[in-house]
Order: sequence, then C-alpha cells, then structure tokens
Amino acid sequence: MADANLAFGTLLLLIFPLALLALLALIVRPRPVKIPLKNRHVFITGGSSGIGLALAHAAAAAESARVSILARSLDKLEEARDSIRLATGIEAAIYAADVRDFDAVKKAVDSAGPIDVLIVNQGVFFAGELEKQELSEVRFMIDVNLLGSFNVVKAALPGMKSRSDRRPVSIALMSSQAGQVGVYGYTAYSASKFGLRGMAEALQHEVIADDIHVSLIFPPDTETPGLAEETKTRPPLTSIIAASSGAMKADEVARKCFDGIKLGSFFVPCNFEGAMLAIATAGLAPQRSPLMAFVEVVAIGLMRVVALFFQWNWYGSITKFASKNK
Amino acid sequence: MISDLISAVRLMTDTFFWVGLGSQSGASIVFQKMADAKLAFVALLVLFPLALLALLALIVRPRPVKIPLKNRHVFITGGSSGIGLALAHMAAAAEGARVSILARSLDKLEEARNSIRLATGIEAAIYAADVRDFDAVKKAVEAAGPIDVLIVNQGIFVPGELENQELSEVRFMIDVNLMGSFNVVKAALPGMKSRSDRRPVSIALMSSQAGQVGVYGYTAYSASKFGLRGMAEALQHEVIADDIHVSLIFPPDTETPGLAEESKKRPPLTSIIAASSGAMKAEEVARKCFDGIKVGSFFVPCNFEGAMLAIATAGLAPQRSSLMAFLEVTLMGLMRLVALFFQWNWYGSIAKYASKNK
Repeated sequence: MADANLAFGTLLLLIFPLALLALLALIVRPRPVKIPLKNRHVFITGGSSGIGLALAHAAAAAESARVSILARSLDKLEEARDSIRLATGIEAAIYAADVRDFDAVKKAVDSAGPIDVLIVNQGVFFAGELEKQELSEVRFMIDVNLLGSFNVVKAALPGMKSRSDRRPVSIALMSSQAGQVGVYGYTAYSASKFGLRGMAEALQHEVIADDIHVSLIFPPDTETPGLAEETKTRPPLTSIIAASSGAMKADEVARKCFDGIKLGSFFVPCNFEGAMLAIATAGLAPQRSPLMAFVEVVAIGLMRVVALFFQWNWYGSITKFASKNK
Repeated sequence: MISDLISAVRLMTDTFFWVGLGSQSGASIVFQKMADAKLAFVALLVLFPLALLALLALIVRPRPVKIPLKNRHVFITGGSSGIGLALAHMAAAAEGARVSILARSLDKLEEARNSIRLATGIEAAIYAADVRDFDAVKKAVEAAGPIDVLIVNQGIFVPGELENQELSEVRFMIDVNLMGSFNVVKAALPGMKSRSDRRPVSIALMSSQAGQVGVYGYTAYSASKFGLRGMAEALQHEVIADDIHVSLIFPPDTETPGLAEESKKRPPLTSIIAASSGAMKAEEVARKCFDGIKVGSFFVPCNFEGAMLAIATAGLAPQRSSLMAFLEVTLMGLMRLVALFFQWNWYGSIAKYASKNK
C-alpha cells in the first residue's frame, strides 16, 4: 500500500507539471515567432543619445541592420551619426523631429522608407511629488512618452501593414521598471509608462493579423545622460525606494532589447529584478513561450509574496522618513 | 533515472515493511509511521496556509483603514451623468454625505441637481468646468470647500483601431481621462493634505476593466486607464503620510448614455472580444465603489470578472486586506492560466475574423 501511495504521489508530482507545460504549449498566443534583423531596417526614436544611441550602435554592428534615428536636435543627431560611423563603419540615416508633432514624424517615417523594426524609445523623466511638480512637467512626460508614442506608431503603421516584404516585423515600445510598478515621485512618469502597456496589449490584438509583433522593453535605471540629469532633482524618498533595483549600462539594455525583439517577446525585461517584475505583473499580457508561461503560472504566487514584502519595506521607509521630517 | 528513483523508494519501503512484519511490534511501528506520515502531511496542509495568512497579516501595507462618509464631503467629477450621477445619488441618499458634482455642461449639471433633489431631498453643489482646464478645476475645488472623498470619475471612450482612429480622438481620451485626472488631483491635493478634520480621506480614480487588460479597439482608452494605475501606485506612496487613501475602481461596461453612444461605433472584433464580460447598472457600480472607498481598498472591482482580473493583475499593487492578499497569492497562478485561455480565445477570434475578411 505504501508502495502504491508513494508511486502514485511521485507520478502525480511529475505528471502534473508536464501536463501543465503541454497544455500551455497548446494555448499560448500569439504563436512563437522569429524576427530576422540582418539587412533589415531599424528605426529608432530618441536615437541620438542614451539607450536609443546604444540601440543604434547595436543594430548597425551586431545585427547588421540599416539604421535610422529620429530625435529633436540635429546637432546631437549628427554627433550620433558620426559616433556610429566611427564605431561600425555604417551610415545611419538621421531625421530631426519632435515626436509631439505628428506631421513631422510622418514626414520622417515616409522618407526613411519601409520599416522592419520600429523602436519607440524617446522618453523624458522628472522625478517629483505630484504636490510639488509643475503640471507642465506632468504634461511634458505624458505628451512625449505616451502621446508621442501614439504619433510614432500611427505614422509607421500604414507602411508596416502594407509592406511588400511580408516577413515578420516588430514594434518595440521602451517602457521602464517604472512601467511595472509606480513608486514615490513617479506619478507622471509611471502614468506614461503604464499607459504604454495598455496601448501595447490592445495594439498587438490589432496588428497580429499583419504579422506585426509588439514588444515592451522594461529597463531599470540605465547609465545615460538622462539619468545623470534626473538624479540631481530626485526627492530623497525616491532615491531610497528606487535603489531597490540596480542600474545597467545602455549597451546591456540594448542587447536585451534586441534579444527580445528577435523572438517577438511581449515583455522584455533587462535584468533579474525586471524578470521578477515581469512575472509578478504578467496579468493578462500575452505570452508566446510555453516555458515562460509555465514559470509565470508556477511562480507568480511567490512573486506576489515578494511584491508584498517590497511594499512593506517601502511603506516602512515612507513612514520612517515622514516621522523624521515632521 | 526517474524509474531508478521510484525503484529505490519502493525498495526502502519494502525493507521497512518486511522488517517490520518480522515482529508484532515491528509491524505496528510501520503502520504507526504510515499514520504519522499521513498526519504530518495533513498538518502541513493546514498549517502552511495559516502560517502564510499570519505572515501576510504582518506585512500588508498600507494598514487597513475605515473611511467614514456620513456628513462628509464627496466631490465627483463627471458627476452629471452615468456612473458619476449614480455616485452622487448614492453619496447623498445612502451615505448621508454632502455632494458636489463637476462637469462641463451647466445644463446637464442643473438637470442632475434636480434629479438628486427629487430623489433624495439633498441639494448637490454644482460646478461647471472642463477637467482639461486646471485653473477652472482649481476654482471649483476651492469654491466647494474641504473635500473628504474625491472621486475622479470623468471619462471619454471612443472605440476604434489605432490605424483607423483620428489622433485627435486619441489625444481627447488621454487629455480627459489621464491628464484631466492629474489636474483634478493636483487641484484638490493641497486642501486634502492641510485639512483640519484629520480623519482619513479618499482619492478614488475611476478606471475600467479596460485598465486591467487592453483589447482590440482600445489602444487609447486602455492607455489612459492603465496610466491611472501608474499614477495611483505612486500617488499612494506620496499621500499615505497624510492619511489619504487611493482607490482604483474597475467597472465593466456600464449601462450609461456614454455606453449607448460608444457601442454604435465599435469595430465588430471589439464587440466580440468585449462581450467576454457582462454589463452592469450604474447604481450597482456606485454601490461597489463606495464599499471599496470606505475600507480604502486600492483595487475596487465591481463584479466577478473584475475580481478575477484584480487578482490576475495584482502585480505590485499594495493590498491592505490580509485575506485578499492570501487569495491573491494562492490564486494568481490559476488566474494566469485563465488569462492565457482568454488570450487563446481572443487571438482565435482575431485570426478567424481576419481570414473571413481577407
């Protein structure tokens, strides 16, 4: 009897996960995809500095793609083009436009020619309590990070839908760990980055029939000129709380970004904390990989406990800071 | 390798069994061990959840709160129709609160005030302002006086594929639903932070099930409603020290004039997919809303599907209720599985529709 119980139990312990994995392999949608980058056209907004510039370098050198970068400042674009030419020998096309100006973006996109990988990467960030922040700063973040992304996608979409090269293509939206969790000082920035997820989930529904694959990239603080500027004005509590996740180098983020784009992954985390966050916040996001789906189903409960511990820690810091500064 | 493992385990238990049978006391020892093992297993099955619940009770933040509404001031934006008007009625009648409503149209505000007076005898204060105009909102908020429950409820929804939608419509939804909410909160926050009545107060943001999942035809609307969550998670960090409690309300399609208008323009696929969740009456949504506000719940779902979505999308949202936290931890895995089934169903509908219409 003991034999039977033990054997049965062991069988169950092994069969159940395998059955779950098999079920997930059947139901995960959209289906897995491979998006080739070699000799294809990568168009990067916010491409003159920071993560965008690192993406342009990586696209040219590592991925052998044709590269176009869009940004506001012609000077910085020319510097970027020089830097890419110096490092890779490749001539990036440059387009000066403000993403808040749809017509300018449309002109740039039309000049650039058919786009295979659209990386909507422009972004601005000012940390600050909503109580203290100027509404003009709030509006700036939402206009550039969210509305600007709508402008870019809307400009590029017709061309991508009606492309002659019918191989799979990608729309990648640069989010942030602040688009996975909102913390002290991030009301406007997190609002803009969470908004990208709402757009992305719906957009993937709308473009899957044209073999267009949407990815959301979730970098942590990344060592860029933007970060250097922003840390000067961070509220103390923001620094305390945001320190929970380490910083990365821009080229590491670029590497993870292209790894994810090439598989059409909907969520593309860039480091360990990002991967934990991606599991915790899986929600109703689509998942192409049965293995990743399995990890999500099995680990999301534990991740929720970890999340609650983080909030316990953060609210503790807030209380401590508040009592010290009354 | 696995069969070797099973054989090894069977050998061990065989040895125990036969050695034990060799003597009377030996046999009883073996049976005692089996009974012990079962007992230990059952004890574990009961103790583990209790231990988890105890742990969660210790760590859930912010702590539970009760927010009284009687004779307090409820300020509702988008309060002249739909869910907002139902909230105003309920605040006045069921909750015994002082009510202010803000909306764009003075005519609709006067109609609303009459309707509230007729139904409840209570005189609601009305303020005409467009939430996109911060100065107008600020004037209204200051005229209204100290606010105890701020319900940021205004919202616009125009369905449509991003490819087919005008950017002016996208901008409209984001300006009213998201930027407008920033305007309202920013206008009310100083007064709420420096209030003389230091009892707990509430900022409730009207989201939507479309703020829990984005589906076909909802790029702009879901963007605006997901944005509210990002704002809310950060805002709660910033205002907890002032005993201000943030709630996100997640109604499904609700039977309002707004819904009637919007359904006329829905793309077919949106109707197919959105039908996955049933519609509710505005009064039912209002009831759930106040239930949630009164306990300072961060997530306030309004129906069963909403509750499932709330668990699935718990992510890093705060949770005050240890019981709810326990349900989240134990059920999220299953909810993720259900979510993947929904996407399997939705992408199937999309593929079927696409092939029919090529």
